[in-house]
Amino acid sequence: MSDKKPRLLKINILRFDPHDPDDFPHMETFEIQEAYGMTLYIVLNAIREHHDNSLMFDFVCRAGICGSCSMLVNGRPTLACRTLTSKLDENITLAPLPLFKLIKDLSIYSGEWMRYLNEHLETWIHDKESELNVDKIEERMDPDLADEIYELDRCIECGCCVAGCGTIQMRPKFTGAVGLNKIARYHLDPRDKRSDEEYYELIGNEDGVFGCMTLLGCEDVCPKDLPLQSKIAYLRRMMIKTGLK
Amino acid sequence: MNIIYTDVLVIGGGLAGLRVATGVKERGHDVVVLTLVPPKRSHSAAAQGGMQASLANSKMGEGDNEDVHFSDTIKGSDWGADQEVARMFTHCAPKAIRELAHWGVPWSRVKRGDRTAIINAQKVTITEKDEAHGLITARDFGGTKKWRTCYTSDGTGHSMLYAMDNKAHEDKVEIHERLEAMSLIHENGRCCGAIARNLMSGELVAYVSKATTIATGGYGRIYSVSTNAIICQGMGQAIALETGVATLGNMEAIQFHPTAIVPVGILTTEGCRGDGGLLLDKDGYRFMPDYEPEKKELASRDVVSRRMTEHIRKGKGVKSRYGDHLWLDITILGREHIEKNLREVKEICENFLGIDPAVDWIPVRPTQHYSMGGIRTKYTGESQTLKGLYSCGEAACWDLHGFNRLGGNSVSETVVSGMLVAEYISDFCDSQESSINIHSSTIEKFLKIQEDKITALLTKENGEDAYVLRRRMEEIMMDKVGIFRNGDDLKDAVDELEELLKRSKNIEVFRSKSRAANPALVNAYRTQKMIKIALTVAYGALLRTESRGAHSREDYPSRDDANWLKRTITSWENEEQTLPTVNYEDIDISKMELPPGFRGYGKDLTKHNTDTHTRQIIVDAVTDKLKKEGASRMEIQNALMPFIDKLPKKYQGINERLGENV
Amino acid sequence: MKKNKIDKTPAKLDFTQSLTGLILAIFIMGHLIFEASILISNELMYKVTIMFEGYYFFGETYPGIVSFLAGFIFVIFIIHAAIALRKFPDNYRQHKVMKEHIIRMKHEDTSLWIVQLTTGFIMFFIGSVHLYMMMAEPSDIGPYASSYRVVSEHMWPLYFLLLFSVVTHAFIGLYRLALKWGFMEGKSTKTSRKRFKFLMKFLIVVYLLLGIFTLAKYIYIGNTHDFSDGVKYKSETIIMENH
Ligand SMILES: Cc1cc2nc3c(=O)[nH]c(=O)nc-3n(C[C@H](O)[C@H](O)[C@H](O)COP(=O)(O)OP(=O)(O)OC[C@H]3O[C@@H](n4cnc5c(N)ncnc54)[C@H](O)[C@@H]3O)c2cc1C
Ligand code: HEM
Ligand code: HEM
Ligand code: SF4
Ligand code: F3S
Ligand code: FES
Repeated sequence: MSDKKPRLLKINILRFDPHDPDDFPHMETFEIQEAYGMTLYIVLNAIREHHDNSLMFDFVCRAGICGSCSMLVNGRPTLACRTLTSKLDENITLAPLPLFKLIKDLSIYSGEWMRYLNEHLETWIHDKESELNVDKIEERMDPDLADEIYELDRCIECGCCVAGCGTIQMRPKFTGAVGLNKIARYHLDPRDKRSDEEYYELIGNEDGVFGCMTLLGCEDVCPKDLPLQSKIAYLRRMMIKTGLK
Repeated sequence: MNIIYTDVLVIGGGLAGLRVATGVKERGHDVVVLTLVPPKRSHSAAAQGGMQASLANSKMGEGDNEDVHFSDTIKGSDWGADQEVARMFTHCAPKAIRELAHWGVPWSRVKRGDRTAIINAQKVTITEKDEAHGLITARDFGGTKKWRTCYTSDGTGHSMLYAMDNKAHEDKVEIHERLEAMSLIHENGRCCGAIARNLMSGELVAYVSKATTIATGGYGRIYSVSTNAIICQGMGQAIALETGVATLGNMEAIQFHPTAIVPVGILTTEGCRGDGGLLLDKDGYRFMPDYEPEKKELASRDVVSRRMTEHIRKGKGVKSRYGDHLWLDITILGREHIEKNLREVKEICENFLGIDPAVDWIPVRPTQHYSMGGIRTKYTGESQTLKGLYSCGEAACWDLHGFNRLGGNSVSETVVSGMLVAEYISDFCDSQESSINIHSSTIEKFLKIQEDKITALLTKENGEDAYVLRRRMEEIMMDKVGIFRNGDDLKDAVDELEELLKRSKNIEVFRSKSRAANPALVNAYRTQKMIKIALTVAYGALLRTESRGAHSREDYPSRDDANWLKRTITSWENEEQTLPTVNYEDIDISKMELPPGFRGYGKDLTKHNTDTHTRQIIVDAVTDKLKKEGASRMEIQNALMPFIDKLPKKYQGINERLGENV
Repeated sequence: MKKNKIDKTPAKLDFTQSLTGLILAIFIMGHLIFEASILISNELMYKVTIMFEGYYFFGETYPGIVSFLAGFIFVIFIIHAAIALRKFPDNYRQHKVMKEHIIRMKHEDTSLWIVQLTTGFIMFFIGSVHLYMMMAEPSDIGPYASSYRVVSEHMWPLYFLLLFSVVTHAFIGLYRLALKWGFMEGKSTKTSRKRFKFLMKFLIVVYLLLGIFTLAKYIYIGNTHDFSDGVKYKSETIIMENH
């Protein structure tokens, strides 16, 4: 918006195509003239359209709500689509999130990871007893409790907390903040009838809540600002209660 | 040859697709869901505002019921909707929402006692009833008589989609991610599955199924600026169209949302205005009351969008380097309200505009938002012309929305149509007629076609650049097939799109030649399909010489029931065609429960059909007579337009509400 | 409801780790303050010493008490270390991955963990030596005896290292402890975390300064005092017959 000459951004991208036997991970640099209101979504599309049409990356909503576009921006996991270049240096380094299976360049197979997580933690309402009659007035829920559950339901499975957690980098079997947050969400929900012992079986171990070393990378990179630290603490207390009973 | 057999193939993992999948799975059929992205990343997650269902729990929703919801929907559609479908829908919406509550959506709840709300720029106190405490609450949305839009804070679609996907996990629904349906397999008017491409490995896979459902969402991305996710490219409609057998309905009916931010086109929810936000022009003047004294900012979407465009054309827009825009002012709602109920909006403002909506006005302008058109189906969700092909959600033209859908009616449609279509599909699969015997050579033939297309794209020399064609198509759609349309522009648009279509047969994928993960290749074949879809929209718009709902012709400003009370039906019978075949399906006034009338916006310019009056007299007479006899509203409704029998048995029950049918 | 027996060990381990950490941290906070009594006067340090030897309870000194105390702390120390060992990288790959992660992320709390790991590792050796000495020669504590050890037995470099390690380790540990269990979260965890972090840094600085001055004083005494009489301290106010 000012008269200043627009900056020339240097975008360094870690590239690798696992499908190509001759390829190996390497950095490639593209130069893009910055424009007002430019986000990494615009930058990457411009690179693909005008410089290298084989560059892989994932955007879906391009509005910071679907969690597709998480990548390492200057080393930190974040959503690329809502990262304004004006908030960054002119030298920008992009890399795919570690830990997840790499599809190509910046594109990762986080969906598969998340699906296993959800299946493993059984992230759905467990309610064998009550049969739903769709004609009847719905069950009541305390309005504040509903808000509180939603607060935790806001996770978009972007994987930033996973990439931002040192523990899970060392021990890939660790559940990670995303999973723990989900368990906290269901634990809070009165519709889920799982007992504390059943929850304990899921996360009362070194791969679960006791594996967390309170590094707090998760909390600090979560683009949805979820109260991860507080919820992991909550779960830890719950699980200790069950474990020391 | 990689072939996967299943009972039901569902293409699309959004709300609609997942609801169908769980439905048929619970009825005991095998199902595979194909999706471009993990289901939770589908565009359904973007719906912020809410889902309409006439629960009538909140104070401002008191007195709401199926009848009111029905009449709002029909008026909203400008009488383009299928009234039976709308009845089935409004009857089942409360059931769908209760089901979702059971599956874990933490709907925002009624809190007993006083609370302040902003209505019409005034602070008012609303006192919620004791007995409603803890039930699902609702907010105001455009075009509705009652507060009916149920929501989860500002993440309605997100929480619905997550609950739905989790339910699918629970039911062990098989989901194949990053698989793109490339074409349908069909023979003798019978659809038997689809050819899909693995977007990671590039491998082609044939899915053979008794029933195939397309739930791939809308086609907003044929426009250069759209609120839609970038995967909403109309591929579902395109593969249906390319069968030459299945038809598309009302493709020209495109909705523009009044308040997307400038320049990126990200939507700020209608909830902003529902909660009391105002539209202001460059002078900070609130102009909507001048145009729509009654509903003001909360008039139906298409109306607000047109008024905004009119106002900008009068020179009242705010100039910017990305074109003119107006302001959305939600500062009056207060920081607390914004941070709690409109947080997503706040995040968007911060991250994409660098402003604080509790202090600053938001730059907005009308932007492409929703596709009313889609794969034309019967009320069962089955294609009218291709047996075994089903469709629902935004991808379909089930015809709930006619020429304009109400805010909050579309996520509602996804789950309602999903649960109904799942039953119809299950019935179909249970019946004898679902059996297929398709020869493997047929499957091979369809695989080969796709294989060859890809090879051609990768090996062509001196071809066209897909990006160039696509950008041009997007511009044409935006400039010439936009909010206001006219014959000259539309003619130009069709001609130029036709030219683009011819050129698109010659697309070459430059440089990037990989058969596996290759975005350039994907863009190439999708561009070819998108241009076809764009043509169906532009051509349908050119032919429809009236204004109805979102389709607004400057040269034909009146709604013309005499000539145009009909659905546009588009097909593409032959690969060599460069324009779609267009037919029309009449909408029968004599069966309507709510005969055409005035929608209540601006001047009534409607050219009425002669049948309208006749039908109105019958409707009034029946209503009066039954009322005198003390009949219930359901009985009266049933006498006018029976629909209950069409519903699956398990959804026929009468809905309970506070103070009604309890 | 499933009737499976749940494995309670992980819960117990986690709890014990925190509890032992907490005990050690509280101990150290006291320890360094008692130690610092030397800054006020030799006499005070002496009184503190004999207090621990039970003089004020029994009218006599029993260095065995200190041995016992040291033994007790040693046990806690060992338990804590043994449990915390689970958190050490199991192999070189894990270590490398973590290091890369830390360099990439530039995230304070993650980096602090490496500090904790390293300091814990250091204490594992030096702390053990120190504790062993305290257990073995409990009577050799006092303004002169200690100073002698610090200077003439060349303990001071180790003590510096130990001091730095234990102070950072303990307060980072306490900070982590508070967040780990959601202690005094208040309305906004962001604010309470900020406060805890400030407190952590503040206390690290305070205790480091305190420890350095204390150690300096021992070194000063060690260098200036005439040890020809042996290391026994002669109190001006307390006369002990047995000595
Ligand atoms: C910003 C925004 C806000 C909205 N807010 C509201 C609101 O408040 N209330 C409301 O009622 N409506 C709202 N809508 C509309 C509503 O969100 C959509 O109409 C609805 O979610 C569509 O759901 P769907 O299941 O039909 O399709 P989608 O959710 O779009 O899902 C499409 C699925 O199809 C898959 N797919 C697409 N093509 C292929 C292919 N070729 N092969 C395989 N899979 C494919 C995709 O991967 C995806 O899983 C909003 C829309 C937008 C754009
Ligand atoms: C052999 C010496 C020691 C080793 C190897 C060691 C190691 C560790 C490690 C690795 C942790 C981190 C555990 C985690 O992240 O979950 C830790 C935590 C902690 N340590 Fe130590 N430590 C030692 C001695 C001490 C001492 C002497 C104190 C007190 C002064 C102490 C206090 C703490 C505290 C308070 C915690 C936090 C507890 C928790 O997170 O549960 N440690 N220790
Ligand atoms: C009961 C057990 C302990 C006793 C009796 C004890 C006693 C002492 C004494 C007497 C000194 C003075 C120097 C000397 O005499 O050598 C000292 C110093 C010190 N001790 Fe301990 N100690 C104990 C446990 C620990 C533990 C567990 C740690 C940490 C792991 C520790 C860390 C230190 C440090 C860092 C100093 C240097 C003091 C300073 O710089 O102020 N001690 N200790
Ligand atoms: S918890 Fe936050 S960072 Fe982790 S996946 Fe969810 S939204 Fe992303
Ligand atoms: S970063 Fe990892 S260690 Fe725990 S606090 Fe977060 S999950
Ligand atoms: S593209 Fe959806 S979050 Fe970035």
